[in-house]
Amino acid sequence: MLKTDAAVPVEQQFVLSNLAPGRAQKRLALGIVIGLLFALYLITGPLSGIQLGAVNGFIAVYATAMFVTDAVTAILLYAQFSILRSRAILVIASGYLFTALIIVVYILAFPGVLAPNGLIGDLQTSAWLYVVWHTVFPMFVVAYALSKEDSSKRLWSGKARPAILWSIALTAALAAAAGYVAIVWEAELPRLMLDPRRFSPNWPYFVGAPIASVCIAAIVALWLRRRSVLDLWLMVVMCLYLVEVPLSYYPAPMRFSTGWYAVRVVGFLSSSLVLTVLLYEITTLYARLLGAVLGQRRERDARLLTGDAVAASIAHEMRQPLTAMITTADAGFRFLDRAAPNLDKAKEAFRRITADGHRAGTLVGSIRANFKSDVTERTSFDLDELIQEALSLGGNELQKHRILVQAEPNRQLPPVSGNRVQLQQVLLNLIMNAVDAMAARDDPRILSVKSALYEDDRVVVSVADTGTGIGSLDAERLFNPLFTTKSNGMGMGLSICRAIVEAHDSRLWFTPNTPQGAVFQFTLLASGPAPAAG
Amino acid sequence: MTARPQFFVVAVVDDDQSILQSLEYLLESADYAVRTFASATALLESGDLPQIDCLISDVDMPGIDGFELVRLVHAARPGLPVILVTGYPDRLQRLPSLGGTHPRLFTKPFQGHELLEAVSETLRNAPG
Repeated sequence: MLKTDAAVPVEQQFVLSNLAPGRAQKRLALGIVIGLLFALYLITGPLSGIQLGAVNGFIAVYATAMFVTDAVTAILLYAQFSILRSRAILVIASGYLFTALIIVVYILAFPGVLAPNGLIGDLQTSAWLYVVWHTVFPMFVVAYALSKEDSSKRLWSGKARPAILWSIALTAALAAAAGYVAIVWEAELPRLMLDPRRFSPNWPYFVGAPIASVCIAAIVALWLRRRSVLDLWLMVVMCLYLVEVPLSYYPAPMRFSTGWYAVRVVGFLSSSLVLTVLLYEITTLYARLLGAVLGQRRERDARLLTGDAVAASIAHEMRQPLTAMITTADAGFRFLDRAAPNLDKAKEAFRRITADGHRAGTLVGSIRANFKSDVTERTSFDLDELIQEALSLGGNELQKHRILVQAEPNRQLPPVSGNRVQLQQVLLNLIMNAVDAMAARDDPRILSVKSALYEDDRVVVSVADTGTGIGSLDAERLFNPLFTTKSNGMGMGLSICRAIVEAHDSRLWFTPNTPQGAVFQFTLLASGPAPAAG
Repeated sequence: MTARPQFFVVAVVDDDQSILQSLEYLLESADYAVRTFASATALLESGDLPQIDCLISDVDMPGIDGFELVRLVHAARPGLPVILVTGYPDRLQRLPSLGGTHPRLFTKPFQGHELLEAVSETLRNAPG
């Protein structure tokens, strides 16, 4: 049984930030959070006695890595925005850009990395930049979660490029302003550092409390809105931010302690988490997209074999003798219309018209014989397999129009005999007709393909839809060649289907479906005994 | 002053024998001298190219198609009047550039008198 998701529009199923997280992803996220809490316990408890020295190169490497991952994440999210036009994505992309920019100022100000007292600012600058970084990003996350809520203004209607440029400009301005305050007003700001290594007793009030509260706010906002993969992993990122608070201050309130090093590792984890998820999802989606494209190509190739293509080639074959007949007749008239009619030439023209007429007749005969003669290539095959193949060939169209497919295999059926390729065309044609009949309606779209025993030695296949059904006027002409209700059809599909089925000494007919739609049925000869029940 | 048809030679190229014959008949009824060829290669190898005054060719043929034939013929006989005939009406929308020339294009089946008018018109407008 094949089901398609009726809730999400197809074009957005492939967009990451709309994707619902799977069970495995949720478990992984929970595992990371639990592992984090365990690491927190280890570092503040059993490992708290370990003393580590100050390695200034570490902070340089750490900041560079953070900058690269945050910048790349921002780029990927901006790219998502340009496809999706979701304000929420624009906000979170700006958040990542902001952290990337703040990290640049942070590393310039950090004492002992590029200069003994930092290249810019003074003692408090890098600590305040850390506060800005860890409070403003969660605010971006809150804004992201809230802008998801407002569905009426959710989508950006303007052009993507100016929106991205504006958001980059505003974010850069914000980062520059934060850097300016931390550098120029360093002396006026509350003291967070006693010296380049030790945190002041102010730390819990000016660093710990603000960061913890915005992170909790962000987690709550995301929890209320949790819907997509991105929501889930941002929640994990916020948990990582939150864990940094106690780790920074305990067991020792100073830089280069065990806890402090652990914070950098956790920080890097949180920075690369969304990037990793984005890259993983993009690769997975790419593979799915490739599968869908290949599926579409297979389906198109299969349709080329069916009704309309056959009809088009017949039309071209018939056009040649008809053209010759008309042109020769024109010539014949001209020979007769002369002042001195050329009777010999005119007779010759009529003779050729007769010959071309016979040629056209032979052509028509050979088309009919084509259906007949292929019946000699009969094989015995499993009907359920044929149904599943036809459904997977039409899978893309079924999914596109959000049609629920009911096709339960019937294990009680004997194998049937016939030309497998032709019968697959018949089935695919009937399925495609059903899709077309349902595509125009808003009501539940259900395609039901069933097989059952019929009389003693036959099997019946039914294709039932809940589409527009068949009016009594159309019913009389339905199987006529060239009759169609479709704007893009030639009206050859059903008449060819019937010709194929009748060439199998079987019947194709239809009945109304209840409460609406149509049921097309055709029979096939069984080629062996039914499998024993059980 | 109308063109005197019997002085003009029209070459017809089509891979379908009955169409080739019907066009030969139609052009004879208008007193043109007709040479028929079952393929583009047959025309190019015949050595008749310098003598013909107008070319009528099918578009969809195996090997060298009508469009390619026009390019090859125009390389040897620039400005030679050409009329193309096709069984696929879609061709009208996808006419490739043929070195700045614009051959008349007819869809099968066509009206005999319209084709003959097109022949005499292109001959009247032909250089030389």
